Amino acid sequence: MSGAWTIYRRELAGLFLSPLAWVLLAIALAFNGFFFVLSVKGFGGDVLASMSFLLGGSYTFWLLVVLLPPLVTMRMFSEEARTGVLEFLLTAPVHDFAVVLGKLLAATTLMAVLWSSALVYGAAAAALGTAPDWTPLLSGVFGATLVSALFCAIGLSISAVTNTPLLAAFFATIANAAILSLPFLDALLALPPGSPLRVMLGHANVITQFQASFVVGALDTKHVLFFLVWTGFFSFLATRVLEARRWW
Amino acid sequence: MITVRDLTRRFGPHTAIEGLSFHLEPGEVVGFLGPNGAGKSTTMRILSGYLPASSGSAEVAGFDVLRQSLEVRKRIGYLPESVPLYAEHRVEEMLDFQGRLHGLSRSERRARIPFVLERAGILDRSRAIIGGLSRGQRQRVGIAVALLPEPKVLILDEPTSGLDPLQRLEMRKLLVELGREHTVLLSSHILPEIEAVCPRVIILSKGRIAADGTKDDLVRQLGGGAKLRLEAFVGGDVAAAVRLLKALPGVRDVLDRGRLGVHHVFEIPCSDDLREDVGALANAKRWAIRELSWQRPTLEQLFARIALDLPTEQLVEPSATEVPAAQVEAPIALEVSPTLKSAAPSPAPQAAPAQGKIVYNLNPFDMGASRDLSKPKPIDGPGAPPEGHA
Repeated sequence: MSGAWTIYRRELAGLFLSPLAWVLLAIALAFNGFFFVLSVKGFGGDVLASMSFLLGGSYTFWLLVVLLPPLVTMRMFSEEARTGVLEFLLTAPVHDFAVVLGKLLAATTLMAVLWSSALVYGAAAAALGTAPDWTPLLSGVFGATLVSALFCAIGLSISAVTNTPLLAAFFATIANAAILSLPFLDALLALPPGSPLRVMLGHANVITQFQASFVVGALDTKHVLFFLVWTGFFSFLATRVLEARRWW
Repeated sequence: MITVRDLTRRFGPHTAIEGLSFHLEPGEVVGFLGPNGAGKSTTMRILSGYLPASSGSAEVAGFDVLRQSLEVRKRIGYLPESVPLYAEHRVEEMLDFQGRLHGLSRSERRARIPFVLERAGILDRSRAIIGGLSRGQRQRVGIAVALLPEPKVLILDEPTSGLDPLQRLEMRKLLVELGREHTVLLSSHILPEIEAVCPRVIILSKGRIAADGTKDDLVRQLGGGAKLRLEAFVGGDVAAAVRLLKALPGVRDVLDRGRLGVHHVFEIPCSDDLREDVGALANAKRWAIRELSWQRPTLEQLFARIALDLPTEQLVEPSATEVPAAQVEAPIALEVSPTLKSAAPSPAPQAAPAQGKIVYNLNPFDMGASRDLSKPKPIDGPGAPPEGHA
């Protein structure tokens, strides 16, 4: 796994050497800052409520989760396939999965940096006299990072399919939105309560999985596992796509 | 070190390589030669573990490239044609990354990186951002990256493409040096490039091996088109001369190419050197020979034939008769049409045959040495001894 670590370091350096990472960070911070101020006003000065609003309690959070990971991961395979660097990586003495894992961790790290900006708001509130409840805040950041990992893995497997980064971002965004709106399917299909499909869709509800634990400050292994397993599944998928590429 | 058996790779309906088999001993330097699209890169990609083969097997350093891919990848330095490097990184960062991928320790990396950069002649740019380097410099960095883990086998795909003539020369020098320590497989579509570096050449054509061996082997294998050329004054009865020539063992056919001045030109297609036999015949018949040469196609011509997809017997015409290879730096195959050739002025002024034939004889062991060389030496008629029986 030292290969994955090496690739993780390279990818992280590559991300922060490109302007894209900084642009995304700036946009996300401005976006979060704006909504934090707005929500603090709206909740009448309730810092904790504003925090959980930022980290999963609102649709602005899910908007960022759907839009940002595809932009972070879009170049990771498609650009490299075009410049030929992928050929270098896939002939290096590391397993394909190590390549995917390294890239996934790098993209997730960038997202974690982005979400940890919420901690700055917490610190600012603490400095101004109202110390927030740190536990839900930290679990919120952790959860947001886990969700981002899932969507980064989806973005990676789509980036591995195409050679055009913008196309990868486009399809990954659509895939993310589709996964988030899976639970609406039961209303659409008018499924009877208790039908197996409805139960399955209920379990696949990313938003409730997230809000049931991380937002309220409770770390439930069931929910952590839910995200880890799906992230693992899509990482595996990306690895298989990379392998399939060799046959094209 | 590299063993390839019956390797085939298809891309959908297109067959890139078919039934390739060859073997490289440790320390061998072998050049892959072929026109674009012949399957050079595909073969190298299979050997590097990037592409799987559709059928057949390949072994590098005793490991199967498909089943023990990681073991193979540890032992080869592969430089793809596109020279993949991270443009946003510095040269030394790229090498550091390669070193980590190959599991080199920090001290090993510290020692090896300046060494390979020096080797590739790019040490002075080790702090430069790769994106700002010229094509030739990038190529050098690519070589340094491939060399870093001290690979047993170097696979270099078109290492000289995109370089200017001076850089090409330097790259050749480097490749010759590398050939002393590594097993090297390199590809090019430029023949002099390969000839200068590789003792052994594998010529690929449309996904198959057209020839494999040293330069002489290749000429023999590709064969076809070798011929004896005789220019001689044979007296009046040309048909009789043709009959005599045809009667020589090993001669299948004699082509009468007409007169060139007083001389008659014959072409005898033959795969072996029959100069001695024809010379002896000419001596016996007292023909005055102006030219007797055996023209073998050069490797350049044979390769051009493969590249242009011509049938075996047809050759791109050589610019002139056989010239010792040492004098020709980079022979250029020129197409000279036969009409153009016969229209060219004959090189020696011919005297009237009535006075006897004038021969310029410069053979110091013959009678020519004692005479004044500024004047032509008269010979009385066709009865005089012919020159040229060396």
